[in-house]
Amino acid sequence: MSITHYKSGPFSLRTLRLGRPAGPDGGDTDPVPLLYVHGYERHPGEAPFLSRLAGDREVLAPELPGYGESQGVDHLTDVHDVALLLRDIVEGHGYEHVDVVGHSLGGMLAAEFAVVAPDLVRSLVLVGSYGLWLDEHPMADPFVLTPEQLADAKWHDPTRAAEETAIEVAETALEKAIERTRNIGTATKFMWPIPDRGLSRRLRYLQARTLVVHGEDDGLVPTEHARELARLIPNAELELVAEAGHVPMFECEDEFVALVQKFLR
Amino acid sequence: MKFHWFAEVTYDDLPDNFPAPGEGAWMDSEITLADSRKVGEQYRMFLRLMQQADKVGFDGLAVNEHHQTPFAMTPSPNLLAASLASSTENAAILVIGDSLALYNPPTRVAEELAYLDCLSEGRVIAGFVFGTPMDSTFAYGRVPVELRDRFHEARELVTRAWRETEPFAFNGKYNQLRYVNVWPRPIQERPPIWVPGSNSIETWELVTREDYCYGHLSFSGLQAAKPLVDGYWDYVERNGGDMNPHRMAFTQLICVADSDAEAEAKYYEAVKYFQRVRNPAMRYATPPGYNTEKSMTTQMQHGTSGVDPADKLRAARGEMSFWEYDEKGFIIAGTPDRVAQRVRELATELRIGQLITSLHMGNLNEESAAENTHLFGTKVIPQLRDLWADEEDRWTPATSQQRVAANAPVPATRGKSGA
Repeated sequence: MSITHYKSGPFSLRTLRLGRPAGPDGGDTDPVPLLYVHGYERHPGEAPFLSRLAGDREVLAPELPGYGESQGVDHLTDVHDVALLLRDIVEGHGYEHVDVVGHSLGGMLAAEFAVVAPDLVRSLVLVGSYGLWLDEHPMADPFVLTPEQLADAKWHDPTRAAEETAIEVAETALEKAIERTRNIGTATKFMWPIPDRGLSRRLRYLQARTLVVHGEDDGLVPTEHARELARLIPNAELELVAEAGHVPMFECEDEFVALVQKFLR
Repeated sequence: MKFHWFAEVTYDDLPDNFPAPGEGAWMDSEITLADSRKVGEQYRMFLRLMQQADKVGFDGLAVNEHHQTPFAMTPSPNLLAASLASSTENAAILVIGDSLALYNPPTRVAEELAYLDCLSEGRVIAGFVFGTPMDSTFAYGRVPVELRDRFHEARELVTRAWRETEPFAFNGKYNQLRYVNVWPRPIQERPPIWVPGSNSIETWELVTREDYCYGHLSFSGLQAAKPLVDGYWDYVERNGGDMNPHRMAFTQLICVADSDAEAEAKYYEAVKYFQRVRNPAMRYATPPGYNTEKSMTTQMQHGTSGVDPADKLRAARGEMSFWEYDEKGFIIAGTPDRVAQRVRELATELRIGQLITSLHMGNLNEESAAENTHLFGTKVIPQLRDLWADEEDRWTPATSQQRVAANAPVPATRGKSGA
């Protein structure tokens, strides 16, 4: 495991690298590296599910601008800027192509990336993904929930909320509060007041084979959103995870890892 | 010293149990609580009270912008200001203010304030506000982290639209206009600009650099505001800004009566009502990214209003006696002499030259509000005209200053002999 800072133009992104790096020329026998795009709250750090996914390949997990230590958020205006930055990250690491797993807001951004960079994205996994708005299936406003309400919405079993990991965080209570506000404030750029930036219009251009993974008890993004994503994406499968909420990778780690590994094999 | 008549335009017939515990008066108050005919009657009452204030010596008539709340039913301050501009003669029309980030395009503000300035013969003060979190980010859906940037872009566009004599193109981040050439333009070369803030250093920097009038509009009273307002003036001094007290506005609930006992009898219920219905539910108070990190750090240490949270809660619950509200600074109450003495202390301690006096509050009846206005205008203001009289006031319009001075009622003699 290493943490590096990927620098490109105005951006400096704290980046977690796990697993065996691909060969120098990314030969045909090397497994395709995996790009992980974190959710709206924070980067998960060296989470168990990421380490397991890195068992047979390299995992690259950048922290997005405006989150934690990463810099350059003022140079992002909309989701397309993020999609192009993700392309920059993949190319900057010398990868010919990647598999992408995006969670929550990261799912929405990963889908935008796959739309604009069809040559770079082999397969895509969207987990508890934002990006749509369905009038008939209202979703919670994540920005007005108390910590208790948020835990209830995120978890099938909220007593397990402490199992969620986070990248190394600030130390004092004030620093932690400021960091959390910085992170969630960054999310507002793409999710406020409604987390729909037009993705549904563009999904028809998404060429990568896609797996939509969704906790059946996700109190933030209704399961109907996952069904709609799977319907709109030309080559998509849907897997619902029972007894999981918005973070199936923590709540049902074994099942989640198995689903992703099977799909990306 | 200058005095501006103001009222939050609060719906006056909310049930005693409103808002429910943990809830507030913003965003999701049940609309079935309001009778639109009654709202109309209230609007007419506020117009009458402000027309009265215009005649009894107030320097300005203040109107503000709030959305989706029975606490302040003034979605467009410019509409209320338009009624006043054509039905008053003397006082400044203090729009405090237009929430610049919410106008699309913001040249609308340049146009409407110009219209008001023309209609009022040059009496407009242009207040520019970020808007509360409830107004700007929830009711109007602006992305919290973009709000300040939008505000500043809009402020540049509005002031430039007033200044330029040729049509110009504006290619902003949020506003693109190929031809900006607003008609009409204000009578004043540039109306005075006021920008209220909530203890954020970025706003201090702006008003100091641009020589705007700053406003601390928290209704928190002298003691709570003292450290925050001192912090502001320290900043101004350190950065070479103008220390003129007329560059500082402050809001204060005022309850004047012929005796202290009468003040309590007339205003206590209305003060409690005001405090009860003014706050938002917690979930709408602090959207992420509304405050910058720098401001957040200072605010987490000192708060935004300086009010002790326990006092704020007791004030909202109506658990204070009338005179505790007075002692803690939530109101200034009593006889004209007592009120004048306390306002003098407030203005001197905080270096305030523009007092925005709330003479109607909560569910106060018109008769009491009119009496409050009359007593303050005729028996309090004249006692305080000497304050800061040697300091030039460049933050209220020249026209309103001349007219108020020329038309002010003959000052009542101090004490009882004038009655």
